[in-house]
Amino acid sequence: MAKIDEWLNTNTFHYGQFWDIKGLIDTKERRNLKLSLCIPTLNEETTIAKEVVLFKSELVDRYPLLDEIAIIDSGSTDRTLEVAKSFGADVYLSADILPHQGSRRGKGENLWKAIYQLSGDIIVYVDADIKNIHPRFVYGLVAPLIYRPEIHYVKAFYDRPLADETGIRPSGGGRVTEILVRPLFSLFFPELAALIQPLSGEYAVRRQVLERIPFPIGYGVETSHLIDVYSEWGLDAFGQTDLDRRVHRHQSTRDLGKMSFGILHAFLERLRSRGLTGEMPHLTPILRQFQFNEGNYEQVVFELPEEERPPMIDIPEYRDRFGIQDN
Amino acid sequence: MAQPTLATQDPGRWIHDLPISLGEYREMLLANLIMIGEIPAPAFDEKARIEFVKQRFTECGLQKVSSGSAGNGLAVLPGRSEGRSILITAHTDTPFPDTVAHTLTVSSDRVTGPGVADNSLGLAALTTLPTIIEGLGLEFTHDLVFMADTRSLGKGNLEGLRSFLTRADIPILAGLSIEGVQLGRLDYISLATLGGEIECIAKTWNGIDGQDTIAALNQIITRLRNIPMPGEPLTRLILGSISGGTSYKTPANSATLRFQLRGESDAVVDGIAEEILTICEEMASNLDIDVDFDVIARTRAGGLSPGHPLVQNALSVQQSLGIGTIAPAHSSAASVFLEEGLPSLTVGVSLGENRGGVREYVEIEPTLKGLAQVIGILRAIDGGCCGED
Repeated sequence: MAKIDEWLNTNTFHYGQFWDIKGLIDTKERRNLKLSLCIPTLNEETTIAKEVVLFKSELVDRYPLLDEIAIIDSGSTDRTLEVAKSFGADVYLSADILPHQGSRRGKGENLWKAIYQLSGDIIVYVDADIKNIHPRFVYGLVAPLIYRPEIHYVKAFYDRPLADETGIRPSGGGRVTEILVRPLFSLFFPELAALIQPLSGEYAVRRQVLERIPFPIGYGVETSHLIDVYSEWGLDAFGQTDLDRRVHRHQSTRDLGKMSFGILHAFLERLRSRGLTGEMPHLTPILRQFQFNEGNYEQVVFELPEEERPPMIDIPEYRDRFGIQDN
Repeated sequence: MAQPTLATQDPGRWIHDLPISLGEYREMLLANLIMIGEIPAPAFDEKARIEFVKQRFTECGLQKVSSGSAGNGLAVLPGRSEGRSILITAHTDTPFPDTVAHTLTVSSDRVTGPGVADNSLGLAALTTLPTIIEGLGLEFTHDLVFMADTRSLGKGNLEGLRSFLTRADIPILAGLSIEGVQLGRLDYISLATLGGEIECIAKTWNGIDGQDTIAALNQIITRLRNIPMPGEPLTRLILGSISGGTSYKTPANSATLRFQLRGESDAVVDGIAEEILTICEEMASNLDIDVDFDVIARTRAGGLSPGHPLVQNALSVQQSLGIGTIAPAHSSAASVFLEEGLPSLTVGVSLGENRGGVREYVEIEPTLKGLAQVIGILRAIDGGCCGED
């Protein structure tokens, strides 16, 4: 598709293009932009300190690119919040934000509530479990938004080697992307197949986009974002940045099954809402997996709620906080 | 009336209070440690780490950011007057190959990862110092030359530092080397050391009936262990590593021993090295195999006296900071300075353990005292404790 080739040429970046952080800050200030970093957490005490130290020292103190760094936590039972606070991050319990809207458990919930809690015109989300965290995970994602007003949503992509005690191994990651998401996109939203890692947990987005899209609270949040943003603003609203390498933990096939279930759930709901499917049964939240135990095969049943939060702009408290007038 | 700055206060009080003032630089030090420590830097393959350090030097506004022929990372903070310079060094290399995952973890009280103590923390301190000096408003009479030196460990044999000192056209007043650990070390003496490698190589290859070079190396080790090591002057032979062979079912085609001789006398170490050479020649002849003996690193004995003003001033700095001084240890870097007739010290920035392992760690809390100590010693050198131009 010619459109994809054109988009890959113009909207795919490498973080090395944005090495001049001072220049980036100059443009940010000239455009009167405010940037917020959100790190969603749940029991991340072994990795959170490193992220906070690095981003605060490099992108707040040395180069004032970020205006705030916030941890939005799902209720960690370890020392995640204490450690993050000791190194200078703002920490929030997701359940304490918009209490009248109730509390759900899931990464998507944290990302949604961050829109209310944080004040930036651009919010960059970075997962807390990145072993080789580096400032490029932020400046590489926000730079296209700062320099290119027509871009609204920037996704990360990278090599994804696996790390264990013995060292770095070639990537076994990206399985859900290649087996599930890219085939689905190729069938139903071919232009979105050009996003190299549609499930990456690192992305930067303009507030006016974030506040207008719904948020599945579970695994489907990234996929649904892409479909919703694409439907409203088109492929040109996206950018993607090569962040070189992201060292991550290996996930079991069973965990990938849960992830795939959540993604498929969100995807099918979007097909249904766009009239792209015929009659479909109610999509159950029950995922069935199987295991061999003491000579017998047995079911392992997971209930994976794929509830969605509405666009934040529909929440009265949000409209009050950011002075948005009712139409 | 203007408040006195740190730089104008009473020196004793000033150094005592300095760690508190350094608190705001803790995250910067840790960030530099993370970014430096996650760039692999085995000896002879340190370019990426050096480039990062040079970039940091440039960002700090240092002058003459450059690399010498040995690939060091160099930069200058000009002093108030022309004259000799103070050289501050930290070695860049670590013992870990780039196949080891160089991912550091940070907890509330420590940073863990390969090479973090030796010497990523030392290099991070060197890299952070210019910003601290600027932030505290400190001025020095002499130029400060910051150097991330390369090829320090193993076969590197301190090549980066040696290359700079023998070729630099900058007159040096004194040297201060920064290591990650241990806080409290004050190394002003160099031992006579000889790092050696003995490799036994089969002359022929005959499968399972081939020459057994591991057995040959074993005989050589037995002979080495029978060499009398004098207690006065104290001399030791350390067998560091052995390697050889590729399979469990065929005799090893080659086998290698790495060792270090260390002692207080150059003559004694030289004499024992001669004995080792003779043993290697005899064994080669007796067993009809090739035996190569290579000297891969060498330092000479010497150093400062305990009463040298530099040592006394450094002790005073450590005492003012409440740092318990560790009994005089030995630094190989001191040997290189000594060869050029220059006084030098090596100090550590923090406490840590598991050096040389992937679970190597350094403690965070002591680093502020460690940095304060470095600044205090630099001020003492700048103030004239090593003599003037």
